[in-house]
Amino acid sequence: MILLQSPSRFLLQILQDRVLSGEKGMDIDCHAVEFDDVRYHIQLLLGAEAAFYPNFSMRNPKVMVLSVALPLPSPEAILCDGLPLDAIEAIKAAYGPVVQILDPPKDGFDLTMKINLTKLPPDEEQRNSILTQIASVREVVLGAPLKVLLKHLASKTVAPNVDKLVALVHRPNESFFLAPQADKVTIVYPMRFQDSIDIVLATSFLQEFVEARRTAALNNVPSCMWSPVPPLELKGVPAEALNANSGFVTFVVYPRHVEGKKLDRTVWNLLTFHAYVSYHVKCSEGFMHTRMRRRVESLIQALDRAKSDAEKLKKLVNGGSFKRLVCTLCK
Amino acid sequence: MANTLRLYLTCIRNTLEAAMCLQNFPCQEVERHNKPEVELKTSLELLLNPVLICRNEAEKCLIETSINSIRISMKVTICHLEVKQADELENILAKKFLRFLSMRAEAFQVLRRKPVQGYDISFLITNYHCEDMHKHKLIDFIVQFMEDIDKEISELKLSVNTRGRLVATEFLKQFI
Repeated sequence: MILLQSPSRFLLQILQDRVLSGEKGMDIDCHAVEFDDVRYHIQLLLGAEAAFYPNFSMRNPKVMVLSVALPLPSPEAILCDGLPLDAIEAIKAAYGPVVQILDPPKDGFDLTMKINLTKLPPDEEQRNSILTQIASVREVVLGAPLKVLLKHLASKTVAPNVDKLVALVHRPNESFFLAPQADKVTIVYPMRFQDSIDIVLATSFLQEFVEARRTAALNNVPSCMWSPVPPLELKGVPAEALNANSGFVTFVVYPRHVEGKKLDRTVWNLLTFHAYVSYHVKCSEGFMHTRMRRRVESLIQALDRAKSDAEKLKKLVNGGSFKRLVCTLCK
Repeated sequence: MANTLRLYLTCIRNTLEAAMCLQNFPCQEVERHNKPEVELKTSLELLLNPVLICRNEAEKCLIETSINSIRISMKVTICHLEVKQADELENILAKKFLRFLSMRAEAFQVLRRKPVQGYDISFLITNYHCEDMHKHKLIDFIVQFMEDIDKEISELKLSVNTRGRLVATEFLKQFI
């Protein structure tokens, strides 16, 4: 798997199982964390435990409650009621009557939704597409403001009430920045990583993005730049938002990248850019470890070859095979 | 590049062949003790002149000899303050790999758990190791070890770059 998929496998599996399992109910109470920032909690309580959550349990095997905790926003990001702008509208538009937002959300979460499985369309294909949509709740909620901005780009206008520079949350306490214009949107990611090795690997990966963009086959994709210092677009942003240790990546998105069906994919890709790089940094570290372990094995073999036969025999005598050896000699 | 490495390794091999004539030698200060003299440096008359072999300013190999033990230390990374970005990747990969090896020093009997100061990795070979193992094969091992470190680091770097390119290409392809 090279690319990250938008529907969360975890949610999709639970929802599909629930739909298929029919009338008979069983308690479900599952937590999951995705990309180290978004937390999910999906519940279906029927038994005694339901009494502890009077607001969030429907005692109905066809109604599930899904809570989502979004990454902690940084001070410069704009939110309304703890959710990104336009998120409520996006949820309503995407899910229709199947999902109902509960207000206030459950403690420790930013959004709680009631999923009514009886309202799913009977046709299997449509049903699955709705379930996949629900599992992509991350894209719908966090991507909502980004989608609105890019929609305006597709129609080559600027939304009337938008600032020159918009900050959107994508990681706990971190945001990325968009500078919307009528004919292009400039997106800047300050990249931060924890580990010193992660920083170096990520930096080299990010430079590869710039290199890859230069090849002829990728002439039409958004132009991509990397710089160790904040680019000009970020003038006026508070300094604490600019302490990126792996540099700054800038994408320039043109209307042709967001027309028609491409919009959703572009939103998802831009939203999870950090997660994507971080995922591949971890993968390549895992790969390096496998390689190094294999190299150590081959070196130990080389050292074993140096051991003389006397040494090997000594080992044999000390080991468990001594008795057997003596027995064979006696015979 | 491959040629200079060959010369460097041949030089190390010849030096090791000359230097590795170890004998059992009990400690002169404490009765019934037998310690590697190159580590303790208690009596000057038991130490020989150390040999420093340099490939370039970054890579060098120090061979210290004594009557009953020999210590080989290697430096493979650059520790300039202003390193170029590309070298930083190589540096950090080298450090990671060498730490990985040092942590497994138990498995390599001749590897020192901590490198000598100023170096990245050290071996300590005593007369007991020489008795247990064939001397020429032990030297083969040391030389192969150096060769492998060099090879592994450049391969790791290459694989990181290839992966980076693939990851970037796949991501950007999404926008077509």
